[in-house]
Amino acid sequence: MFQMFPTRVWKEPDVSQLSRVRRSVLPQKDDTWADIARRELADLAEADAVSALQSWNLHVFMRATITTGRPGNPILPSDVIFVEPPLAAA
Amino acid sequence: MYDLVIRNGNVVDGSGLPAYRADVAVKDGRIVKIGRVSEGARRVVDAAGKVVAPGFIDPHTHFDAQLLWDGCAKPALSHGVTTIVPGNCSLSLAPLRAEHRMKLVGMFNQIEEMPLKAFRDGVVWDWETFAEYIARIRKGLAINVAPLVGHSVLRLWVMRDAAMERTATDAEVAQMQAVLRECLDAGAAGLSTSYVDMDERLQPVPSRYADASEVDALASVLGEYGRMLQIVPEFYDADLTIARLDQLAELSLKHNIPTTFSPLFVNADNIEAVNRVMRRVDEQFDRGARVWPQVQTRPIDISFCFAVPSLLFIRFRSWYRIMRFGAHEEILAAFRDPQNRQKLIAEAAPLAGLWPRLVLRHVNTDANRQYVGKTLGEIGELRGVSPVDAMIDLSLEEDLDAHFLAAGMGHNNDAEVGRLLSHPRVHVGASDGGAHILSFSTYGDTGYLLGHFVRDVKAMSLEAAVKKVTSDTAAIWGIPERGLLQTGYVADMVVFDPKTIDRCAEDYVGDVPGDGYRYVRDSSGVEAVFVGGALAWSAAEGYQPAQGQILPGVISAGLAA
Repeated sequence: MFQMFPTRVWKEPDVSQLSRVRRSVLPQKDDTWADIARRELADLAEADAVSALQSWNLHVFMRATITTGRPGNPILPSDVIFVEPPLAAA
Repeated sequence: MYDLVIRNGNVVDGSGLPAYRADVAVKDGRIVKIGRVSEGARRVVDAAGKVVAPGFIDPHTHFDAQLLWDGCAKPALSHGVTTIVPGNCSLSLAPLRAEHRMKLVGMFNQIEEMPLKAFRDGVVWDWETFAEYIARIRKGLAINVAPLVGHSVLRLWVMRDAAMERTATDAEVAQMQAVLRECLDAGAAGLSTSYVDMDERLQPVPSRYADASEVDALASVLGEYGRMLQIVPEFYDADLTIARLDQLAELSLKHNIPTTFSPLFVNADNIEAVNRVMRRVDEQFDRGARVWPQVQTRPIDISFCFAVPSLLFIRFRSWYRIMRFGAHEEILAAFRDPQNRQKLIAEAAPLAGLWPRLVLRHVNTDANRQYVGKTLGEIGELRGVSPVDAMIDLSLEEDLDAHFLAAGMGHNNDAEVGRLLSHPRVHVGASDGGAHILSFSTYGDTGYLLGHFVRDVKAMSLEAAVKKVTSDTAAIWGIPERGLLQTGYVADMVVFDPKTIDRCAEDYVGDVPGDGYRYVRDSSGVEAVFVGGALAWSAAEGYQPAQGQILPGVISAGLAA
């Protein structure tokens, strides 16, 4: 089989070369807003944290109703969830 | 005696180096000599004043279905495109169980705007596995095909209907890995997935129910083969796009695979956002990741009629619901009903600046032919009604076969698009060839690149532009022995006139199965196109029998298998 790129040994990524971007997470199995709030915004009261998450993730919160999977929970397993507001313009 | 000699052409060899005058000789499908060729050949082409270049590679198409009835992927070949990549955006036609055929047709119809009747009348469903699909399209194949496996389809194959509802179990992920290996062994060029698309029920496509660990597991299989992962990110938002390209970068580094995301558009209101995305692309490349943003060359022009759903209306629920789910008579009734009409007009109000600019481009009745070419603003004035009323009235009078054009909807700032296309880490692609056939022509993007951005705008040199769509693409996708005019390479070649190469005006033609129509653009300035050394199309002779290959294939003494 033709392989253009030889296999390399995997090392944990060095992210020190990367500039700061808006922090986000990918959901864990069956995550709800409250699950993510408790994990990522532990310093906030849960209701405040959920509210903040929803306001930072309108692409999820405001999407049309999902009737498949887990109706009522708009978070898809593949979603990007921001855990902070947009960064101020440099 | 050679099989083919192209004499006196300016060789733009795909490397980006300056053009030079030479003859090109071909034997047994490969380039055997570049320089002065005195020997004879079975076919001799005089390319004086013309450019001889490697065949173009289009990395983002949806020709999956068209290849079942048209092995030339018309009119792509006539534009000099000798290799296409179908199966993008999580959708391929294999592997596909019989029980999910109509599901997939529905997704292609919703996402890629491909008519249901084309599938009904143009497709004989005689395959299930990827290998069977490949065997099926090989019959009559005249263009090279580097097919992707669609993640949504792969999930349906393994998880059946649960693919549309939940994450996969460990056992199901292992099955997906095994099936993906089978597909790659059968000739797949990689995997595609989507984070934005909706199916025919306006529900997320199956790939969106995959968690990150599933994508990681599939990327590990791609790593065994060094194959591509293509994604559709949330391209409407820069932060989301950056988060996705960071995810891609980790997969690229961890599994040593190339990745690409598409589309990336630049508009007047997102120039800084695109700059941020490109800065992140640069940072990730500097770390050793491969995250190629795909950028299309053409501006966004959208045509529509109300007989078929148009994505232009997807933000207007009442309009889109009736287009998407309404039968012909129901759409007419909705337009005729005064109360419903007012509701539609009110819903369209947020785009009040758009409707007057729409141009009527096609009608069937003699009475309305006088309006063709006029804007809805002009027609409304002539009729004494609002532009939206004029659009509805014309649609009723034409039994929904009035076609409107929304031109210059974006990606049309030459300076910004040209700057983006010239970026060394931008992958020129995202044509969507074969899709959206009733919304716009997805053919001729290479002609637009070479005619508009090279000749007219002078955003880049001819050599740099050719490199972008030949050797760069071959290297990005790991396609060996193509993309360069070099001795020993496969003779996929195009001869064109640099003074006239372009895309022609958009035309509405009835060549789709099921008595269907589509918007196409013929080529301008392309003289001849060769696939594996055989003439596949010429301006003088039209389409000719050639033998397209499944790529990347394997390096061998002969052509790729």
